[in-house]
Amino acid sequence: MRSKLNFLINVSLKKKLKSKWFLIANIVVALLLIAVINIDSIITLFGGDFDSKRKIYVIDETNSIYEDFKQNLNYYETSIYGEDNISYEVILSDKSIDELKELIKKEDKSLIAQIYYNDEKNIISKLISLSTIDSYDYQLISSSLTQTASLYTLNSIGLTQEQYNKITTPIEIEREILDEDITSEDEDVEMIMTTVFPFIVLPFFMLTIFLVQFIGSEINDEKSTKSMEIIISNVSPKTHFAAKVVANNLFIILQLILMIAYGAIGLLVRKFIGGDSIINGVASTIGNAFKSLTTGGMGDKFILILIFTIILMILTFVAYSLIAGILASMTTNTEDYQQVQAPIMIILLLGYYLSIMAGMFKGSFFIKILSFVPLISAVLSPSLLVLGQIGLIEITVSIFIMIITIFLLIKYGLRIYKVGILNYSQSGMWKKIFKSIKNK
Amino acid sequence: MLKLEHVTKYYGDFKAVDDLSFEVNDGEIFGLLGVNGAGKTTTFRMIMGLLDKSSGKITLDGKNIDYTVTDNIGFLTEERSLLTKLTVKEQAIYFGALKGMSNDKILERLDYLLDKFGISNYKNKKIKELSKGNQQKIQFITAILNKPKLLILDEPFSGLDPFNIELFKNEILDLSKNGSIIIFSSHRMEHVELFCKKLVILVNGKTVLSGNIKDIKENFRKKNIFLKGDIDIDGLNKIKGVEKVLEKSDEYEITISSKEVASHVFKFISKYPNITKFVVEEPSLNDIFISKVGESYEK
Repeated sequence: MRSKLNFLINVSLKKKLKSKWFLIANIVVALLLIAVINIDSIITLFGGDFDSKRKIYVIDETNSIYEDFKQNLNYYETSIYGEDNISYEVILSDKSIDELKELIKKEDKSLIAQIYYNDEKNIISKLISLSTIDSYDYQLISSSLTQTASLYTLNSIGLTQEQYNKITTPIEIEREILDEDITSEDEDVEMIMTTVFPFIVLPFFMLTIFLVQFIGSEINDEKSTKSMEIIISNVSPKTHFAAKVVANNLFIILQLILMIAYGAIGLLVRKFIGGDSIINGVASTIGNAFKSLTTGGMGDKFILILIFTIILMILTFVAYSLIAGILASMTTNTEDYQQVQAPIMIILLLGYYLSIMAGMFKGSFFIKILSFVPLISAVLSPSLLVLGQIGLIEITVSIFIMIITIFLLIKYGLRIYKVGILNYSQSGMWKKIFKSIKNK
Repeated sequence: MLKLEHVTKYYGDFKAVDDLSFEVNDGEIFGLLGVNGAGKTTTFRMIMGLLDKSSGKITLDGKNIDYTVTDNIGFLTEERSLLTKLTVKEQAIYFGALKGMSNDKILERLDYLLDKFGISNYKNKKIKELSKGNQQKIQFITAILNKPKLLILDEPFSGLDPFNIELFKNEILDLSKNGSIIIFSSHRMEHVELFCKKLVILVNGKTVLSGNIKDIKENFRKKNIFLKGDIDIDGLNKIKGVEKVLEKSDEYEITISSKEVASHVFKFISKYPNITKFVVEEPSLNDIFISKVGESYEK
């Protein structure tokens, strides 16, 4: 005789997997993910004036600034955008300012940089353009000119190359942290925050919303068609509840794996069509962070962080599905369930925002305390952990609290479920629920 | 044997079922009657274990009914309880598997029953696409897929035409012949009269009548006289023991308080020359039901 629990899990999973909406939604998600990963290639595909370089015509009345300015601008651009993405072409011009003004009217993107001395022998620059230029470009040119002017001034007062290097070389800072549990490499983990956060927290947030919706609609479907009476007359509410929780969690994990696969396909497509910049940048940042973690002796710790995060997230999925199941059993139709699930969404959203704010309010005691709160902890703890604000001990405590929460949800939630699942009247609902919690 | 002993159910302070007791032997068909809210569905749900009883005992073959025996029970609820997005085949597999049946057995039995009910072509149709009557047939089929030892039918004939009622009736009788215990409720007394040997009539959760239908009818003092001919109705009404005279299309139906009154009526009509019919009959179950329910309401 087949196990009724396995059968119910099977039915629930198959129902979702065979649904045409599952297929359609996954095709759309896959296409969107692949498109987002390759967005720059798509933009380029549709054409535009991406390749032409912006010309800066330099009128160097000092006769000594031009070369240094050109080098500095090139250096800044390379360090910010990479060697392949240089957008400026610096040209020393011997034309008059009026002739150049006429020229940039035709070339519209070009600029004129007029460099000269004032009466105090200070270097002055005038930047002429046809229309406005964005702040990035302005900052880039301004920094290059300032650096050039500094260099020129230092040279002009007769400094040797060695003295000049001493002044301009960045100071190396050696870090010492007194807490032996934290290494200086912990600070490097912050790099992950900007890259791993969207890859862990966002999918978790999205999948939890799906999970809550799926369980609710499935239970409501069986309740509203009254087929629940037949089902519960053959399997216990405990088995039914377990089947819903297991099936929907399996489905969500499967969906997560599929999304990772779509991401991987997107990256493969990117590699195939020769795209770079965005993803290469992200990959290199993650790579650097990993490298820094492993070389700094954080490799093992990072693996633990990852394992603990996954454990906490799976436990949180289970907790959310238990709550969704309990709430769905209390409602009699989908509309009621939509209303009753709103607080769950707000709790989830709170965790999401707190995890973003954690970076802004470093050391906040309030946020640290909230990182232990079940349902929020899964989103908040990993973020605080990555930021170095909590350690593995704290996240272990969060996991422990989550396990206790799940135990209590099963113990008392099942009592509510047993009563709610066959209840079709909203009158005296809360009275029935409180009574069911008291009854063993 | 299904046995209910002093079963009581409270919803808060409200007593929905009050000290209900009855027995149904293997192969017997039992009627549980009552107006809406009498406690029939609550009783069924207690038998199925969907509701906890406040007190009393319910056993099937001497054992408490729990999830170890539900594979041998069939249940048809009063309202539609089908997953309407599923096809007939998927629904049968779903409910059949919950009874512990294998897929092969479910499909074999489903094909047989669909054929018997003349709806084989609906096997792969979604339930929501079927008519109300056909949905009721599917619900009935899923309830008897497992050839249940105990079959509970809550208003099984609702939404069915006379032809389909006959189909249901034959299937129920077949199951009964094979030893199934069948307990059902209906508002239609002619159906109950057709199937049941025993019944219970509930009013506000209380048993007002219980036992064999034959005995109930015999013991019910009121009788009916059917009379054809030209008579003085006022004179008939004045006879002691005549409770009601109903004028039908071409005859009179006279309700008398006891068998003995019939001779007084007969004596009265003897003087009329054109009497062509005089029949004393047992009351119908409907009469008994109305009489008993009415008495209880008056109380």
